[in-house]
Amino acid sequence: MRASRQTLSAERIGIMREQASAVAELINRLPDPDDRGLLSNIDKNIVDEVTATLHEGGRDSLTALVDMLVESGDGGDVKPRYALHCLAVYVCKLNSEQQRRAFGKALASQLERDRPKAVQKYLIEQLQVAGGKEAVPVLGRMLLDEDLCESAAQALVAIGEGTAEQLQSALPKVEGKSRLTIIQNLGVVRDAGSASVLKEALGDKDRESRLAAGWALANMGDAGSVDLLLKAAGDSAGYERIKATKACLLLAERLLAAGRKDLAVRIYQHLRDTRKGTDEDYVCDAADKGLVAAGAR
Amino acid sequence: MPRTQKVNRRQFLKGSIGAATAFTIVPRRVLGGPDNTPPSETFGGALIGCGGRGNGTFNAMGLEAKKLAICDVKFVGRADDKTIYTDFRRVLERKDIDVVAIATPPHWHALISIAAMEAGKDVLCEKPMTRFIAEGRAVAEAEKRYNRIFQVGTFGRFGRSRNPGSILIHKIMASGLLKDCRGVHIKSGGLKVKQWSGMVNAKPQPIPKSLDWDMYCGPAPLRPYHRHRFGGTHRGYWDYEGGGLADMGQHHFDPVQWVYAKDDTSPVEIEAYAPPAHPEACGMWGWVELKYADGMTFVMDSREWPVPEQPAYDRQRAREVSLSDLSAEDQKRIREMPDPEPLVSFAEAVKTRKRTGGNADVANRSATLLHLANIAIRTGRKLRYDPVKEQIIGDEEANRLVNPPMRAPWHL
Repeated sequence: MRASRQTLSAERIGIMREQASAVAELINRLPDPDDRGLLSNIDKNIVDEVTATLHEGGRDSLTALVDMLVESGDGGDVKPRYALHCLAVYVCKLNSEQQRRAFGKALASQLERDRPKAVQKYLIEQLQVAGGKEAVPVLGRMLLDEDLCESAAQALVAIGEGTAEQLQSALPKVEGKSRLTIIQNLGVVRDAGSASVLKEALGDKDRESRLAAGWALANMGDAGSVDLLLKAAGDSAGYERIKATKACLLLAERLLAAGRKDLAVRIYQHLRDTRKGTDEDYVCDAADKGLVAAGAR
Repeated sequence: MPRTQKVNRRQFLKGSIGAATAFTIVPRRVLGGPDNTPPSETFGGALIGCGGRGNGTFNAMGLEAKKLAICDVKFVGRADDKTIYTDFRRVLERKDIDVVAIATPPHWHALISIAAMEAGKDVLCEKPMTRFIAEGRAVAEAEKRYNRIFQVGTFGRFGRSRNPGSILIHKIMASGLLKDCRGVHIKSGGLKVKQWSGMVNAKPQPIPKSLDWDMYCGPAPLRPYHRHRFGGTHRGYWDYEGGGLADMGQHHFDPVQWVYAKDDTSPVEIEAYAPPAHPEACGMWGWVELKYADGMTFVMDSREWPVPEQPAYDRQRAREVSLSDLSAEDQKRIREMPDPEPLVSFAEAVKTRKRTGGNADVANRSATLLHLANIAIRTGRKLRYDPVKEQIIGDEEANRLVNPPMRAPWHL
């Protein structure tokens, strides 16, 4: 039995080697950069043919292609990089959710193998092009890697479905730039379930995290943040004051759109009453305009 | 002594704006003396982005503006945070700066424009106004929210709006009388497709000591440095612009958009002929057709691909809109229509608080034309677009290019 397994494995390795060789030969048909490094001599028919053939090769072709990617700057992977992207765009053109999902699943599975960070980052970027909910759990795990967090968050936001849960789950486990990235993207996806943790972040030591949290709460139109955001804006100075004030105005707009005229008016009135200086009279004017929009003037 | 220390321009304007005529009624000499510029007409200015287009953009404001600050990410080691800066946020904190000229690469245009308006500044921003579609709406919202003046740094529409032939077409299109528009406008060549393509084999290089590369990348992905990604050739990368199409396309199509009265809408069908695009480097393409809901079609014909000598586009012929497309009665109506109001320059707008001829709404629409063309090239798919929701219809993956996420801490 054991010998049989070994035989099968050897056969499999042989097939994989053949596959890799075939893929290498195939993508060698793709154009070479010209002397300026541009793909100026590109033949659409050849690229289309290569891409379709790669797609027909299924998961094994994809794996072989990914295995050809190397750390950025090592050179030699210009064609596999281009081919992988062509494949990502191609599966979106097929108008077949099943085929797109199969690609997304196969590509996501490659992320958890031991590869250079730059290669993993590139795979994530291709999932941002063509990935769907099948890639979300893997991308969620990538949020915990400080080198990949930014790319993973962006791919997740592009995919949308299931993203908020991944961001929420990762937030307590990360720090520094990754924490900022996740706070910001919770705001991008307007995840109301994160309001309490974002309110805590308003008191963060890091200025960028405070600003991102304020903007996130405003963007999601959190009714419970009115006083906190007004206070944050009132207490701050310089660029932080400019951005915190914008968060207040954005929150007022979101609340007004959601039918919370009372709260929107409170924000506008507060800004109108407190931004009297000549250097902030434009804020006062913006608040005035908001009051008119709210029917309060 | 700078005028901003004596008279605050905003205070002056605020007091006078109820009667904008004050600026035309009160003679310069009364306010400023025979040899002095009056306080209402001297402005504290800043230039953000000091590359090849920097000074030209600053001067294009057409104002008597004292350049109080210059800012560029390449000023590391030179910056004193008094007149020379590397971080635009420090510039925007200054109360004595009224107007800001932005001449960075386009991936920074929207964010700095928005931040400047949030800080109460008026903005003249180089073209194209945005790197992707969603940025345009955000700039327009900021312009309205803060009642600031915004002008995109391309001025061809000002000339076209004074041309009698263009005015006639504009009136026909704006009238709504043309029920079956068969107009086809073709731009052939001149879009610098190859010139502003990106390298696909650029190997990382050491970052110059004078450059804050992280800040340069800003909202775009942080890639390894290569000099081709910087200093003009940045146009060849999706991270920063959108090739010659986004760059030269703005020059051509912004005025055309005015002529055909499309400042408040966008194409509804977009189709491109191009080889599969590279993920980072802008590259070759053949043609793009952009059709509006009324049937008006704009065509971009690169004439650089598949081969330069052989024009590839032959699907439609150019066809001008004319009075003869209308009934005799409608022709009479057009002739009786008043000409459109002259477009307002940035300088005039800053003083009168009227909207500019190249405000953020129209700049959003002209940039959207270019972005839609590039999305069709990048996805290889025929697109349908909703000009009201500003979303691609029925294509989730294509919509990812309408509003791609930004690198923290940058966001719209």
